[in-house]
Amino acid sequence: MSAVVSPIREPLVNGSKTYHQITEDICSPTERTPSPAWIAAFIVAVACLSFGVACILWTIWQGIGTWDLNRTIGWGWDITNFVWWVGIGHAGTLISAILLLFRQKWRTGVNRAAEAMTIFAVICAALFPGIHMGRIWLSFFVLPYPNTRGPLWVNFNSPLLWDVFAISTYFTVSLLFWYTGLVPDFATVRDRARGFRKKFYNFLSFGWTGKAKHWQRWESLSLILAGLATPLVLSVHTIVSFDFATSVIPGWHTTIFPPYFVAGAIFSGFAMVQTLMLITRKVLKLEDYITVAHIESMNKVILLTGTIVGVAYLTELFIAWYSGYVYEQFAFYNRAAGIYWWSYFGMMACNVLSPQIFWVKKFRRSIFVTFFMSIFVNIGMWFERFVIIATTLARDYLPSAWSYYVPTWVEIGIFIGTLGIFFTFYLIFVRVAPVVAIAEIKSILKSAGDQYTGPEAHRKKKEAEQVH
Amino acid sequence: MKDQHNNIWIGVQDKTNDPAFEEMASQEFYELPIVDSLADDEFVEKSSTNRRDFLKYLGFGTGAAMLAASCDIPVKKAIPYVVKPDSIVPGVATYYASSFVRGGDYCSILVKTREGRPIKIEGNPSSTITQGGTSARAQASVLDLYNTERLKSPAQKVDDKFEKIDWKALDTAIRSKMSAGSNIRIVTNTVLSPSFKAYFQELTNRYPNTKVVTYDPISSAAILRANQESFGDKVLPNYRFDKAQMVVSFDADFLGSWISPVEYAADWVKNRKVDTKNPKMSRLVVVENGMSLTGSNADNRIKVKPSEQASAVVFLYNKVAALVGGTALPEINGSNAVNGSAQEALKELAKELAANKGKSLVVSGSNDTNVQIVINKLNDILSSYGNTISFSGASLQKQGDEGAVKELIREMKSGTVDMVILNGANPVYDLPNSAEFAEAFAKVGTRVSFAETMDETTALCNFLAPDNNILESWGDAEPKRGHYSLIQPTIQPLYDTRQKELSLLMWLSTNEELAVDAGFGDQPYYNILRNYWKANIFPKQSQFISFDSFWDTVLHDGVFHVASEAAPAVFAGDASSAASKINKVSSAEVEINFYETVNMGAGQYAGNPWLQEMPDPVNRTVWGNYLGTNITFNGNNDYKSFKDLNQDSKGNTDLAEVTANSLSAIIPITPTFGQMDNTVSCGLGYGRTVVTSAGKDTGKNLFPMCRYNNDGLIQYWSECEVTKQSEREREFACVQYHHTMGVTGTKEGSEEVINVDEEVLSYQGSLTDRSIIYNAHVDEVGDFVEKLTKKRSHAQYLNKKTLYPGHEDTFKMGHHWAMHIDLNACTGCAACTVACMAENNVPVVGKKEVYRHHEMTWLRIDRYFYGDVNNPNVVYQPMMCQHCDNAPCENVCPVAATNHSSEGLNQMTYNRCIGTRYCANNCPYKVRRFNWLDYTTADIWPANEYPINGEDLPFGADNLTRMVLNPDVTVRSRGVIEKCSFCVQRIQEGKLTAKREGRRLKDNDVKTACQTACPTGAIVFGDRNDKEGMVSKQMESPLNYFALEEINVAPSVMYTAKIHNRNTKMDA
Repeated sequence: MSAVVSPIREPLVNGSKTYHQITEDICSPTERTPSPAWIAAFIVAVACLSFGVACILWTIWQGIGTWDLNRTIGWGWDITNFVWWVGIGHAGTLISAILLLFRQKWRTGVNRAAEAMTIFAVICAALFPGIHMGRIWLSFFVLPYPNTRGPLWVNFNSPLLWDVFAISTYFTVSLLFWYTGLVPDFATVRDRARGFRKKFYNFLSFGWTGKAKHWQRWESLSLILAGLATPLVLSVHTIVSFDFATSVIPGWHTTIFPPYFVAGAIFSGFAMVQTLMLITRKVLKLEDYITVAHIESMNKVILLTGTIVGVAYLTELFIAWYSGYVYEQFAFYNRAAGIYWWSYFGMMACNVLSPQIFWVKKFRRSIFVTFFMSIFVNIGMWFERFVIIATTLARDYLPSAWSYYVPTWVEIGIFIGTLGIFFTFYLIFVRVAPVVAIAEIKSILKSAGDQYTGPEAHRKKKEAEQVH
Repeated sequence: MKDQHNNIWIGVQDKTNDPAFEEMASQEFYELPIVDSLADDEFVEKSSTNRRDFLKYLGFGTGAAMLAASCDIPVKKAIPYVVKPDSIVPGVATYYASSFVRGGDYCSILVKTREGRPIKIEGNPSSTITQGGTSARAQASVLDLYNTERLKSPAQKVDDKFEKIDWKALDTAIRSKMSAGSNIRIVTNTVLSPSFKAYFQELTNRYPNTKVVTYDPISSAAILRANQESFGDKVLPNYRFDKAQMVVSFDADFLGSWISPVEYAADWVKNRKVDTKNPKMSRLVVVENGMSLTGSNADNRIKVKPSEQASAVVFLYNKVAALVGGTALPEINGSNAVNGSAQEALKELAKELAANKGKSLVVSGSNDTNVQIVINKLNDILSSYGNTISFSGASLQKQGDEGAVKELIREMKSGTVDMVILNGANPVYDLPNSAEFAEAFAKVGTRVSFAETMDETTALCNFLAPDNNILESWGDAEPKRGHYSLIQPTIQPLYDTRQKELSLLMWLSTNEELAVDAGFGDQPYYNILRNYWKANIFPKQSQFISFDSFWDTVLHDGVFHVASEAAPAVFAGDASSAASKINKVSSAEVEINFYETVNMGAGQYAGNPWLQEMPDPVNRTVWGNYLGTNITFNGNNDYKSFKDLNQDSKGNTDLAEVTANSLSAIIPITPTFGQMDNTVSCGLGYGRTVVTSAGKDTGKNLFPMCRYNNDGLIQYWSECEVTKQSEREREFACVQYHHTMGVTGTKEGSEEVINVDEEVLSYQGSLTDRSIIYNAHVDEVGDFVEKLTKKRSHAQYLNKKTLYPGHEDTFKMGHHWAMHIDLNACTGCAACTVACMAENNVPVVGKKEVYRHHEMTWLRIDRYFYGDVNNPNVVYQPMMCQHCDNAPCENVCPVAATNHSSEGLNQMTYNRCIGTRYCANNCPYKVRRFNWLDYTTADIWPANEYPINGEDLPFGADNLTRMVLNPDVTVRSRGVIEKCSFCVQRIQEGKLTAKREGRRLKDNDVKTACQTACPTGAIVFGDRNDKEGMVSKQMESPLNYFALEEINVAPSVMYTAKIHNRNTKMDA
């Protein structure tokens, strides 16, 4: 992070931190006993998780008939949730990989949590293609392995198979990337710990000693993984969008889906990062590291991607009209004015209209507005997937087959369960690992800390010197 | 060491004289066997796993494997025949000609048996009546054989409970109740069997006070009485729909349920198939209030209220008489006779009838003798007798007269009846005054029932003498005069039952052992039947000299026809007095008509799950009867906006309380297109209370709402009141939510004509421009063909723009299977739907699952309304897997569970399917079906099996019901997708037959189940590459199209566009 930073640019680390203070601030949450708020949140999350697991077991035991999908609408909340979670899982890698390559220093404040979120979201997402199968116990059929049935191979033409590869690759690379970043920080925690914790973190940090050679290798590995992960950010959701785009169903059969899905994924991913970070920085008192500048930067990304998504929606409508193709025209008319008009309205309102308030700097920098907007965006993006899946299937080619779909308690329960899984993991994560990348934040202290940059840098540095 | 240079060499090493190679070449055993090193003690000692360890592992491994293997693994043994019967070849089906007879319902059939068990009903092409077609009822009848709730043995009622007794005890008990003076009554619906009727006669001879009381719950007694009066012959005439160019039906659902629908549909359709070079077709006009199956096939429907039916007939008669000559009849209802728009239409109809004199046919479903006399007179002045109606081959399919029941009730009340023998009739359920009957019935001393399953009347009997299923019996039938038909058993009786003819014989004989003593052997009725035929039927023919060869031939063919000429019918009735006695037009605000549904009959089919789950062709509802109301009905007959026609909430509908004849019932509403304002319709045959589980408490019983008219005949309509309930039906099981395909109407409050689909779906052309259904008027066939050709060639042009060209010739070699469906021939009768369920082991899922749209039918019949929204036409479209050669389902399956055969079949590999349902989503025709739950009880644990209608066991869970399964078709388990396979098992069988006979496969080798079931020949299946084949011929018509051709999925099912012959002058 050796780029020259303009002194006018806002500092990314406030509070005139010294290196030691950074270590103290970030490691301490893992060293304290958990707060009552954390315990309460953890109980709620685990309760949701348990309910979700019960619903999943019920589904497997009874059959997909416990859901209200039907002969016309073969996918509903299951694949909606799948796509939603995969989308959420996009911000982490984008922040760690692409922003690393673009040398965006503000990524250091949020990348650790965002990457963790990515991994947990992908775990939640990966559940759905499994449990939506009628015969989950044969799910290993989707793996191309040598077998005695001929051998019988998977169908390489199927987008669902591409999903298998895309999601598993993405998960693996994201996990490696995240863990690689954690290694020096685990070593930092280890160095401060005693007894079992010391052994535990020693194991987790692979015996990191901070030698120059370690750092050199670590840097190279990070860069290589960033290089590998960058195309993945684009490919995963592109491939997920192929599930729909390669079909023949009007409303799914659209070439615009790949870029539109990727933009939507980044959009929803950043919204989820905002939701989590706003709470985390408050609860863990990390306001100095995750500053309003960080929030504003992310809001800019949300504004950009939200607008891209909006353009995509409008393009779809235009193309439907312009194509002169009745099925396509009807499909989009039906989305906006048909039986599920309310979900289309929800999608438009949350995804396209509401982010526009971020043109105003005041709102971009408002914690309160940002938090509510992040929730809106997540709801809107969920609706987007629901609109694409349920509305399209409910009204396709043959009017005789048209149907309607509302979820059962089991489907809702599974969704709640994935939220439970996500938050359970996240809550454990904030107790176990440094939520902000210590090593990386330290690396930008001199170029982006408030002692060194920003309008009041000089005074702050002096103050800091007086303290010591 | 020899010099390698001069010798034969096999590689470069030979030439180089490499020392290592020479060392190797010089030793015979260069690499010592591994045994040597193992024998080396030193080596063994050093090795980490020594010999002893090896033995330990081996011992443990073997022991563990034996322990595991000795655990009880269930073994299902298929025991081969010790002595194989000649007629049975395992794996090869045997067909026996027989007949399906249930009351007056008749169908000549071939029973397909596999390994000695009947599994499927096919039509018998030799039949002069049904002509190879079948009905849904006939198709489903095989399931009744395996009904686990059949009466399993004779029984006697002791303390209000039936206790099992043996046949001998039963016979003794019954005989002891019979004496010379006994008043014995046999209560029966129509009996078609001449040999059985001979027994009735014999019983009457022995016990002179015996009477046979014949009635039909869906009565045609008025026609019988009218013909008695008009022609002196109390019989149904032989209607020849194939000879009529102009057919008018007054509420007679002759394509769905009236008298002999299979025969009539086959005949009627002969004049409906269109030749594009000379487009001509007959016309069908139906006068009714609710949309019946026949009405839905009509070119024009004239809507009159049920109470206007009678005067509409007289009105039409007078208009026709004015044109062709004939005395006018009195119109007692005066100018109010018929509603205004119907009057105009009837006037126009009279002109058409007059123009088609001698080529027209008027039928009426009315059960009013006076109306039927006027109908006879009308047919008489139109010269129908001798042309489209004759008395040779008169139909015997309805012989009942309710007058006899009335008399019986009176007698029973007075206590003079000693014994009632019920021959399958169920008067405690299916009479309007059933309560009165039940009360009187209790006064009879001995009440015996032949019923196969428990019903409302049998439950009140004190003796049960359960009859065999028809597939276990010998018998005969004479559905039309001179048309005889045999019934032969295809399986031994499953239970301790005895066929009713034999029971009657045992009670007739003074000697207990008579039947056996008389040398009838182990198949007593077979010999009796043979003797009867030898004495009575054989003499009617001259073709065969020996009875044996006659018998063998008839038994083989199943049917026998004696041509007979009846004297020309001369009308001798008094139409004028009849016309003056017809009913007055009611002034009630709302009227209801009760109709026989296509599947339930008069309720005798209610216990059959296949028929319960067969969607009603018009309403598309299952598992119950629903109140058909006008589409704008909202409880107060207010106008309702068209928006509501596109139902968006699943499984919900309004409930209404119907009050008629001071009885009321709460019935779910199904708004039906074509239902007349201020009238409602509801099907009969539901709401059974004592019936096998499938029929229990499905729908409401409306027989008590019917009443008797002045002649004592049942009147199937009533004045009524309808009140909408605040409660809603939450389990509305309807398989189709959207019903229209291009209907037009006038906008509320203005005269502007609008596209109703546009109003409903907010989008111009959103439906009408879809390439799913095409229809045209017969006069515009030329223009239409041009339009269709243009549209199709545009689609083909687009399809040529594919990114992946060069596959056009893929299926040019070998077979290329295809199906052709003529939408003009399809009447929507649903025989194919049930045939498909039977052939392909399609599970029954029950009402709850159907309302969740989880029905499993591989073949459905889509029904679309088009034309005028208030008086629309209907097109039926059988929809099944289209076997696309460019199938969208195939490329999306991640595990390649569905793939394409080299013969153009889209195949489903159930074992490979993991159930992602992606294929179903990507199917443009939505014909793929997913096993949402364990419908077939195939899971290893029973915890997730549900009974479909409150049974003890889920459908198909017991081994008896499973006997109906087709062994050639896999039973699918939970979590897999299934769909139409084009009956691939039949294709395979046909290919093997052709191969064995060393010839090319012909059309007749392969026929799909839907094809053989169809009474009108609407479905043709075959090899598209066989240019001489039927299907290739059919596919040449310029009226043909592929559904959704432009999306380039290359379907293999071709449809012929619907051509109608509507007379728009009638719409005015």
